[in-house]
Amino acid sequence: MVGYFAVFSIFPVLFGFTLSLTDYDLLDPPNWVGLDNFRNLLADRLFLTAFANTLIFVAGATVPVWVASLLAALLFDQIFRGRNLLKTVFFLPVLPPVVVVAVVWRMLLHPNGVVTWLAGAWRGVTEIDWLSNTVLAPLSMIVVHDWAAIPFFMLIWLAGLAGIPPELRDAAHIDGATPVQTFWHIDLPQLRSTAVLVAALSTINAFQTFTLQYVLSPDPGGPANSTLVLGLLVLKYGFQYFRMGDAAAVSAVMFAMILAVTAAQLRFNRRAS
Amino acid sequence: MRARPRAQLLLFLGALAAAVVFAFPIWFMITSAFKAEPEIQAIPIHWLPHDFQWLGRFREAAEFAPLWRYFLNSTLLSLVHVVVTVFFGALAGFGFAKYRFPGRGFLFFFVICTLMIPFQILVVPLFIEVKAFGWDNSYPGLIIPGMMNAFGVFMMRQYASELPDELLEAGRIDGAGEFHMFLRIVLPLLLPALVSLAIIVFIWSWGAFLWPLVIVQDRELNVLAVGLTNYSQPYQHAPMWGAAMAASTVATIPIACLFVFFQRYFIKGLTAAAVKG
Repeated sequence: MVGYFAVFSIFPVLFGFTLSLTDYDLLDPPNWVGLDNFRNLLADRLFLTAFANTLIFVAGATVPVWVASLLAALLFDQIFRGRNLLKTVFFLPVLPPVVVVAVVWRMLLHPNGVVTWLAGAWRGVTEIDWLSNTVLAPLSMIVVHDWAAIPFFMLIWLAGLAGIPPELRDAAHIDGATPVQTFWHIDLPQLRSTAVLVAALSTINAFQTFTLQYVLSPDPGGPANSTLVLGLLVLKYGFQYFRMGDAAAVSAVMFAMILAVTAAQLRFNRRAS
Repeated sequence: MRARPRAQLLLFLGALAAAVVFAFPIWFMITSAFKAEPEIQAIPIHWLPHDFQWLGRFREAAEFAPLWRYFLNSTLLSLVHVVVTVFFGALAGFGFAKYRFPGRGFLFFFVICTLMIPFQILVVPLFIEVKAFGWDNSYPGLIIPGMMNAFGVFMMRQYASELPDELLEAGRIDGAGEFHMFLRIVLPLLLPALVSLAIIVFIWSWGAFLWPLVIVQDRELNVLAVGLTNYSQPYQHAPMWGAAMAASTVATIPIACLFVFFQRYFIKGLTAAAVKG
């Protein structure tokens, strides 16, 4: 088993780092180029665009998700009639695989499709380019991503909320605390590790995004590279241009960013405990 | 704490609104799988198909591309991943939890390290490696990389370490061999955790997109996730939304079934997978 991980996990990582220092193109034997690939990336407009797009996507896929999923969890943590049924219905977007999410939303976001009807019908607008406008397309990606991510992270918050000892809330209630006070002074401090987890996990997931940009967009990464993210650039360099060295260099940059997030998460958790 | 009637109503309405907004795309996907093409595009939308198509759109999807072949490939891939990860995860997790051997700490660290590696880092070097094995565009190339997930080892070690040592001692006194004991005593006790693990691995493998996309070229070898794009962006052909929605529904059914029949394990699995980091 250790052999399996060595062959299919550890070796490829080391091989990938080596690859990022070469100019391998699948045909000719690789030449050693040192850090040239990384140096070139700094001047590569495609890479800089993808880097910026990824950061924008990460911003849109973390903060709103963090807030909305917490609100959803607080709502569904209350006791009211029909709660379980509505919670299950709310949770449905978690079920379909990402590709299905992308295909379904591609239909919904058709220029004269359902979302246009919902958003524009009252003003007589009948056509909106959700996916072929350089401003709207990246926003659409974020909205679709968040739609599937919010119910998932609600689940994590609910697990955190379930871990709060009920005595704490009862005591606060007896002391005459309002629900808002209870939330700020009892729930939130108890939810600290959950809060860090949701922030870290949503950031890591967002850095790796690529399926939505590949399938949802009529032209992967388009229009005009406005939805080109790092994950898509790896695919483009590696399997479209066969520039394996550059693709591996882009992967290495992604890995570094994800490791930084993981390190930040560990630090936050250590400080909390 | 139970809220007062007025607050109850407000909570209910808020939850209802949230549920409707979030479930609407799923509703639209399923109903559209039974609509004729013009009805899918109809504005204002049709909440239910007026002219119910029965399985017509599913048949159309299967004629345009080998939908059932995709489904079988996805099933094969996911089941192999589930069986391998669950069995070896339980075996290794049990070993790490209950046996002391030299290098245990290092080996466990080694396994956990593989958990932190995002797949996109692996895809290029792994592709070159698998191609060198001559496995590109084949079932072994599609299935073997990624069939053993270190998360299984990690999760099973946690559950196995909670098993009481006395139970294993009792087994040894009764003269059970170590592997026999694993099969007869440990596996049944771990069963709930194994089910959660199996579900989460199934979800991951069923939805896998990047690896099948790069490693397989033949239509007949493709999985459902990649095959789906045939309908939404067909080559030199207008998008076929009815067939796309029918195929999307087919791709969602297995996971929906797991959710309906194993809801508690499903939620446990998802939560455990999130907390791994």
